Amino acid sequence: MADFIQLFVNGLALGSVYALAAIGFVIVYSATGVVNFAAGQFVMFGTFAGVAMLANAGLPWPVGYTAALLAMAAFGALFFIVVYLPLRTSPVVTVIIGTVAVGIVMQNAALLGFGSWPFRLASPLEGITIDIAGAAITAHAAMVVVVTGLLVGLIWLLFYRTALGIGMRAVAQDAEAARLMGLNVNLLLALSWILATVLAGIAGLLLGPMWFADVNMGDPIALKAFAATIIGGFGSLPGAIAGGLFVGLTELLGASYLSSAYKDLIAFVVMILFLLVRPQGVFGERIQDRG
Amino acid sequence: MRRYNSLITAAAILVLGGLLSLVLADYRLRLLNVSVISAIAVLGFNFAFGLAGLISLGHAAFVGFGAYALAILTTASGWSPWLAIPAAILVTTLFAGLIGYPLLRLRGHYLALATLGLNVSFTIVVTNWISLTGGTNGISGIPELRLGSFAFNDERRFLWLGLVMLALCAAFAITLQRSRHGRAMMAVRDDETAARMTGIDVTRVKIMALCLSAAFAALSGTLFATHVRFVAPEDFNYAHSIVYLAMLIVGGEGAVAGAVIGAALLTFLPEWLRFLGDAYLAFFGLMLLAILIFLPTGLVGLAGRLRRLGRGAQAETTR
Amino acid sequence: MTLLRATAVSKRFGGLMALSEVDFTVAPGEFVAVIGPNGAGKSTFLNVLTGLSLPSAGKVQFDGRDITRAPTHGRVRAGLGRTFQHGRLFSRLSVLENVMVGAAIRTDRSETQLRELSLSVLDRMGLADDARRPIDSLSYGQRRMVELCRALACGPRVLLLDEPAAGLNSGEVELLMARLTALRAEHQLAVVLIEHNMGMVMRLAQRILVLNFGCRIAEGTPAEVQSDPAVLSAYLGEGYNDARD
Repeated sequence: MADFIQLFVNGLALGSVYALAAIGFVIVYSATGVVNFAAGQFVMFGTFAGVAMLANAGLPWPVGYTAALLAMAAFGALFFIVVYLPLRTSPVVTVIIGTVAVGIVMQNAALLGFGSWPFRLASPLEGITIDIAGAAITAHAAMVVVVTGLLVGLIWLLFYRTALGIGMRAVAQDAEAARLMGLNVNLLLALSWILATVLAGIAGLLLGPMWFADVNMGDPIALKAFAATIIGGFGSLPGAIAGGLFVGLTELLGASYLSSAYKDLIAFVVMILFLLVRPQGVFGERIQDRG
Repeated sequence: MRRYNSLITAAAILVLGGLLSLVLADYRLRLLNVSVISAIAVLGFNFAFGLAGLISLGHAAFVGFGAYALAILTTASGWSPWLAIPAAILVTTLFAGLIGYPLLRLRGHYLALATLGLNVSFTIVVTNWISLTGGTNGISGIPELRLGSFAFNDERRFLWLGLVMLALCAAFAITLQRSRHGRAMMAVRDDETAARMTGIDVTRVKIMALCLSAAFAALSGTLFATHVRFVAPEDFNYAHSIVYLAMLIVGGEGAVAGAVIGAALLTFLPEWLRFLGDAYLAFFGLMLLAILIFLPTGLVGLAGRLRRLGRGAQAETTR
Repeated sequence: MTLLRATAVSKRFGGLMALSEVDFTVAPGEFVAVIGPNGAGKSTFLNVLTGLSLPSAGKVQFDGRDITRAPTHGRVRAGLGRTFQHGRLFSRLSVLENVMVGAAIRTDRSETQLRELSLSVLDRMGLADDARRPIDSLSYGQRRMVELCRALACGPRVLLLDEPAAGLNSGEVELLMARLTALRAEHQLAVVLIEHNMGMVMRLAQRILVLNFGCRIAEGTPAEVQSDPAVLSAYLGEGYNDARD
């Protein structure tokens, strides 16, 4: 029983990270229609921003985390200008390949900057464990779940209770109409990208202490985030959360109870099944071409 | 649409490739072999993506399917590689037809993600089904191809075989592209609704395009297996699917010449840019992005545009 | 003898009833027009007839066979053709190749025969000289004509035309009308015309079906429809009848 609780909580923590990555992915897709195939690399950048600020520059936790997130926000703005704007009118395929290309650049840039050896990114709650019904849970894992819950709440507040968030949703639903209503569409699109990047950054900072910081970590994360959004429902925020948690839980529980070798396969098989049987996922949109 | 004779193209491949085979040294010959093998795969990918518009990010899985099928048949069951090649192609094509039917109801990024998931699943299964595939150790000891006592066991000889295969594939691809089947595929990509309204069975056309791409991919896989004589999971992961996609984009999608040129270019590019060292991939990514933004029709499209400009200038001077 | 028959066809989009119990018949060689104000459901009706959209209720029959749920390409092979409101051509194919895609519905013909057939269709529509041109070099009127050629190359027995005169100048409209009349004389081709150009409708149609808000509000000869009060109030507003009286 203790084992199960430990696996369950760790699964929730891992799932929370996937959920954050998926949320960023969904925000960008809803607002701009772009399927960001570099989503995993964004998370990886977040982890390495943490490495740069905390491990290398040795900044104290609050300063280091803030600096890392500011760097991610700046990167999000840069990405918007250099990648999104030029490809805005291109067909779906071109945008997909474009984000793939950027992902390759990002991964390689990280390799040049940090080398190929994995880093250990410590958590501010390093070494502290909590006892739940006999299971030893790392405080970090608990913090990840709590922080994710808080963030989801904040995002909900942003999108449903602030003028800014409502504006972002308006742009996501109909950019032309939003423009005619006097909204600064470009600014809101840029903010959507920046928000998504910062969320990916947070995911990376939270994930770092749970795994290693490795320049190649982006791809497996991206794949899990994609699976999460398909299962939860493409374009749906609650779907991204549910999907992320599902993928995280099946990964860890599946590894223990089914097969350690095939643990990653479970999420993809489920994803493909959903695509074949119920492509809109649990919560998602109906599959139609975006108008 | 460029209009070239399939025979001329096949001849050009044989002549140019033949000359290079006599002139180049071993290391470059190996790269040329890799180019030829990749070109066959990219030609297949051109049917699915260039003509029919299917965003498949799992092409490398078909290549791997063919390669592993040949590897298993020749090493575990003692088949002759010449028999194993058509068998591998058949099996891979059947597999493509089977998964195509449910899969091709998806479109756009859903199809992209589904095919990506398939490629990843393929890699996971091949890595872990150790009794069948040898896991991460792969399968070695794949026999060489030979005709009687003549063995295709050095780079030059294998290149001749590869060039003949490529020439045949290119001729077939051009003929198909200019036929009613090629037009039907292009119609499906350009406007699916109008294609339906013109009597085209869209689902059947898409599945055919996918099966064709799988058949070419399997052939490429079998040649890979008999060239290197060793297969391992990481040779067919989705990064390779991205490379095939990049080769077609750079060369020029929808064009047979584009597939071949793109394959050759992106095989030799890491060699020519070796001085960039670790930064090569970053450069590659930036180049791909730049081409997407500034030159979306690839090199073949650029050549076409320059030709039209030249023709326009000529018309000016003769006026 | 009825070639195409729709019985009590309804189409619902969420809360909106786009079509409501519409009956419709077309006999061989007949020229029927479907008119109605914008949003009346005319294009939706065409989509249901051609299989691009499935009805929520009702039946569609062609040549006596039930095709309500039949795939679009099957209906085309049976003899149902259609053009679209803004002309949907295959942008990477030339004019001739576009038409050849339509001709290819005949699986038993060789490539050469398909080419000859397509060229003859283009020639009859006066586009033979433009056969090799790429689509993006054509004018709007020419594009619509190419689409018509492509639909004709499929050898339809009933041709559904979705606002073929939209965007054409009056000279092009006259040409279109002349060509349609000639086609019908040669081929016993039934035509269903959706149009806003009333001159064209009244001159060519033998029978007119009027839709409004998805419902059939009138049907009859041009003269009957022109004086039907329900039709007049649909187009001109309720006040018209009051003002008249």
